[in-house]
Amino acid sequence: MSASCEQGITLVGDLHARPAGALAVAAGRFASAVSVTAGGHTADAKSVLGVMGLGATSGQRVTVSAAGPDAREAVTALIAVLSEATRVAGLPSVTAKP
Amino acid sequence: MTAQPMSTGTVGIVLVSHSAELAEGAAHLAAQVSGGTVTIIAAGGTDDGDLGTSAAKVEHGLTEAESGAGVVVLPDLGSAVLTVRAVLEDHPRPSHILLADAPFVEGAVAATVTAAAGGDIKAVAAAAEEARHVRKL
Repeated sequence: MSASCEQGITLVGDLHARPAGALAVAAGRFASAVSVTAGGHTADAKSVLGVMGLGATSGQRVTVSAAGPDAREAVTALIAVLSEATRVAGLPSVTAKP
Repeated sequence: MTAQPMSTGTVGIVLVSHSAELAEGAAHLAAQVSGGTVTIIAAGGTDDGDLGTSAAKVEHGLTEAESGAGVVVLPDLGSAVLTVRAVLEDHPRPSHILLADAPFVEGAVAATVTAAAGGDIKAVAAAAEEARHVRKL
């Protein structure tokens, strides 16, 4: 059974390389097509380079969309990853690292 | 030269660079971005530590990176391809190895992330090659 699902989140840290990597690794485990939209641009959530290319920053609204058999689970998981990964990346001690 | 521990069933990555430091740095970066679950082997420099490539290092890297799911190899510059191809001519299981035509750093990161997500060897090589088309700006 196919479904589509969407949820938004306001980033608490910039979407740097490591949070983008965490997002893409998590997205790649789902069968559904998953995308991330920020600032009017949309990227395949499974493409770490695409996600980094969004250049999403702290305070920006990001939307995760999924379509496929596990769309709901994918969106829930990716929102959790974004919440956690950007929170960690937003810590002053690690913001300068990838 | 191993950046991360072996992970059974995950596609391994070998980074072949003319520079040992470049290969090590790219391996470190890819490991950090992907969460450290993929075996990434840096095969950079000559056997003497000079700039260049080493068939022995590539061969060793292929062995180290293989955990049953295959290995994707990324060369930095064209002449690294010659070294890899020479090694593959004598390799016992060349079908388990794919040479990716990709930008070195972006390809390494994209390939490793896809491997970490459980992608098969073709998906990992494709992720590396698609890196060519992703704009940074």
